[in-house]
Amino acid sequence: MGYIEKIQSMLTHGEITCVELTKKYLNAIETANSQLNAYVKITPETALDTAKKVDEKIARGESLLPLEGVPMTLKDNISTCGIETTCCSKILSGYTPIYDAKVWEILKAQNAVLLGKTNMDEFAMGSSSETSCFGGAANPFNTDHVSGGSSGGVASAVSADIAVFGLGSDTGGSIRQPASFCGIVGLKPTYGAVSRYGLIAYASSLDQIGPITKTVEDASVVYDAISIKDGNDSTSVGSKEKTFDTLDSDIKGLKIGIAREYLEGIRDDVKEAVLKAAKKYEEMGAEIVYFDFPALKYALPVYYILACAEASSNLGRYDGIRFGYKTEHYNGTHDMICKTRSEGFGEEVKRRILLGTYVLSAGYYDAYYKKAQNLRGTIIKAFDDVFKDVDVILAPTVPMTAFKKGQATSDPVETYLTDICTVPINIAGLPSVSLPCGFNSKGMPIGMQIIGGKFNEAKILNAAYKYEQACPENFKDTKWGVKL
Amino acid sequence: MITREDVENIAILSKLFVPEDEMDSLTKSMQEIVSFADTINNADTEGIEFDNINNLSNVFREDTVKESLPSKDILKNAPEQAEDHFLVRNHA
Repeated sequence: MGYIEKIQSMLTHGEITCVELTKKYLNAIETANSQLNAYVKITPETALDTAKKVDEKIARGESLLPLEGVPMTLKDNISTCGIETTCCSKILSGYTPIYDAKVWEILKAQNAVLLGKTNMDEFAMGSSSETSCFGGAANPFNTDHVSGGSSGGVASAVSADIAVFGLGSDTGGSIRQPASFCGIVGLKPTYGAVSRYGLIAYASSLDQIGPITKTVEDASVVYDAISIKDGNDSTSVGSKEKTFDTLDSDIKGLKIGIAREYLEGIRDDVKEAVLKAAKKYEEMGAEIVYFDFPALKYALPVYYILACAEASSNLGRYDGIRFGYKTEHYNGTHDMICKTRSEGFGEEVKRRILLGTYVLSAGYYDAYYKKAQNLRGTIIKAFDDVFKDVDVILAPTVPMTAFKKGQATSDPVETYLTDICTVPINIAGLPSVSLPCGFNSKGMPIGMQIIGGKFNEAKILNAAYKYEQACPENFKDTKWGVKL
Repeated sequence: MITREDVENIAILSKLFVPEDEMDSLTKSMQEIVSFADTINNADTEGIEFDNINNLSNVFREDTVKESLPSKDILKNAPEQAEDHFLVRNHA
């Protein structure tokens, strides 16, 4: 049983009221957050108001909506009307959205209990949450290690049981990588499945919102709730099927592909855990097929060129005039805008804006941006060809386990290389779910991802669910938070 | 090879000031990233193009009038405002 189902059963059977449950989570946050730094804003009033409404509904004998009464969190780049939303950047300090992101509108209408907003790398640019202006979020398995990024706060909170689930965003791995580092489940949906309306943009053609949860079933329930076509996002498609209905289907004969290139350059303990999972799948009746994927070598440079190009355009709106931070002393409008941006953005964000401006500037556009766009087509075609032969692809989520604090920030290229397994999926717009598949010798979680063809969320979640049922020992609780 | 002058020019285009003492280290890290990006130069992309992920094409919705957000609310987030407008001063 997933945690969402369990909580709703406890609520409807009168084992606990929603207000009591919410208070438990708020107290647990107060205890844990000083060490984890998962939350950057806690919203007790919003949470308790919603909880009261849920209790009243139960008292009237009404049945609950799928996420009703469930304590949860949102990454701080998802707009919440009346609640400060900063992207963990100084430039958005004090910014309070006047409308809700579509995903929050959906969850709010279901009376999901928002406990607070969670930590992230500034503007979702990073792999450790350490570029946050609030400092990084710690890993609940070992607080000397990072929780990953960029949705590191959501992953830390869910792993530590100070939120039942959370929504993150994934531009190049930002849901899956922290889920992998924190030993939990993260789903990056197909591009267009979930509305991006109200998600503060990083790289619009790659960004996608998705759930971070402790179980596959919970990821399925949340995904089904939020994957709705939305007129306010021109790339929104929604989803055609409910993934929950097909969870626990037989995987006998399922063809699982493993790209040889995906097993190169990854740590031995990670490789071992992924291959062990492949073996488990074989025991369950699936067929493992190895294939070559030469286009993979272009994925990282293509990703960084396109993501930075889009970021340089998207972040042009921060000018100190309409919202957010504004410099104090200046001489003329140009000076004001430059000072505001230079003081308001952190180092990594500035680096990516500069890089994006470079690849879009006259003389370099064809060599970098245009070439990368064409290569994006090459990578998409390569994936299309693979999915003619296999049902899903199995791969490591990250080539390593969670690094120690302070290690990610020193060398940018080295840090970018850690995204090698996750970025190809964003480039091709595919769905992928990361789930725990073991631990290293120091007890840090290892994650693997199951990748599907476009809009095949049901297939990958079912495959993930079967593994979770077969290997529950890889889904471990930490010492923190609320134990239900 | 990306030069210090290149970085200075890109900074102007990006509306960012780079302090003098950060210029050398920034140029160096930009050089490393760009040479990493250069690995795509030899890739064969003959005949392949990319438009958008789900091959969507633009559609027109009905041109119906909807209520806009109140300008009073929008201006709440502005650092400075006056008479229902964003305020931009030439000096401060």
